[in-house]
Amino acid sequence: MGIASGSVSYLRFVAEPVTEGFEERFCEAMYNHRFMEIDPRSEVEKAHGWVRFDDAFSGEIDPAVLVPPSGQILFRLRVDTLKIPASTLKAYVDQAARERAKRDGRDQLARKELDVLKLEVNKQLRVRSLPRLQLIEIAWNIHSGEVRLFTTSKGSATLFAETFEKSFERKLQYVGLLEVLPLRGMAQEEIDSLSLIDAERFHLIEN
Amino acid sequence: MAGGDRFSFLGREFLTWLWFESERSGGRVATADGEYGVDFAQRLVLESGGTLKEGSSVQSEAPAQAQEARTALRVGKKVAKARLVLDVGDKQFTVNLDAETLALSNAKLPTVLGLRDAAGLDERVGLLDQLEAVVDGLYLHFVRLRKTEQSWAPVREAMRAWVATPPQG
Repeated sequence: MGIASGSVSYLRFVAEPVTEGFEERFCEAMYNHRFMEIDPRSEVEKAHGWVRFDDAFSGEIDPAVLVPPSGQILFRLRVDTLKIPASTLKAYVDQAARERAKRDGRDQLARKELDVLKLEVNKQLRVRSLPRLQLIEIAWNIHSGEVRLFTTSKGSATLFAETFEKSFERKLQYVGLLEVLPLRGMAQEEIDSLSLIDAERFHLIEN
Repeated sequence: MAGGDRFSFLGREFLTWLWFESERSGGRVATADGEYGVDFAQRLVLESGGTLKEGSSVQSEAPAQAQEARTALRVGKKVAKARLVLDVGDKQFTVNLDAETLALSNAKLPTVLGLRDAAGLDERVGLLDQLEAVVDGLYLHFVRLRKTEQSWAPVREAMRAWVATPPQG
C-alpha cells in the first residue's frame, strides 16, 4: 500500500504553502510531536506521532537534508496500540480467579475481587506484550503543496489531518471531486457554473 | 471528507463517460494535454444513485464487454468503481478509481529504474505525479464538457444511444 514498493493506495490533500525558514520549523515540530512509546505500566492503549521515513524509532531529522531537490519530504505517522484482546484477558482472568479461589479454599471470588483481579491481570499482560505497530507513509511536496497519505482508511486520514495541522500549523485540505478542479487550473467562475447542473440520466431516451 | 456530496454524481458520471468514450474512440481518449489508452480491467462496480444504492459488481477480464455491465447501465446504474489500465506514452499504469472520492488505490506503477533507494522513491513519486495528471486531466476534460448544456447535450444524446444499444458480440 505504501510508496516504497508494490502497489500504491493513497488519499490526496493539499497543504498551505510553506514560508521562509520552513525546514528548521518543520524538523522542530516533527521532533516535538515525535512518536513516544507506550509505557506498558500505564493505562494508555494508543499512541501516535511522527517518525522518520527510514527509521520507525526516531523523529529526528537534520534540517539541512530535509528537502531534496524534488521538494518531496517523506516521513511517517506511527500509531501503536497496546490493548489486550478481550478474549485473551478473559481467559487469563478466569485462570487467575480459579487459582486464587483454590488457594483461599473458596468456590469463587466475589464480583469486586474479580474486578480488581482483572486490572492486575491486564497490567501483567501489558508488560508481557508488544504493541501493534502501524506505520503510515506521507509524501509532502513543498513546491506544489500536495500531500499524499498512503492509506485509504478514513480513521487514519482523520488522525493524520488533525496531527498534521496541530504539528506544522498548516491547514490541510482533502482533495476530492471539486477540490481537484482549481488545482488543475479550472477557473473559479467555471467551477461555480457547476452549481447549475444536476445528475444525468443515461438510460432514458427522450423523444 | 470528499468535497461536496451535492456533486458526488460527477464522479459516477465521469467513469461512465470514460467507458463510453473509450469504447467510442477505440480505446484512446484525447484531452487538452494528450491522448491516452484507456481500458477497463478485472472489476467494474455499477450503482444506482439516490439514498438506496443498488449495486452490481462485474468481475471479468474485460468487464466493460460483459452483458451484465451493459444491462446495469440500461436500468440506470452508473460506474462507481473501476480498475483502469492507462497507457501513457510507453508506460502502462493500472489503478482502481473510486467515483465518490476520486481516490486512487492499488495502483500498479511501471518499473523504470526499479531502485529501492532515495532515487527509486523519487522515481515512484514522479510516476504517481504522472498518473494523477492523467486521471485529473481526463476528469477535467469531462467536467468541461459537462458544465454547459451546449457542450454536454450532444454527448448526453450519444451516451443515451450507446446505453440503449446492446453490445456487439
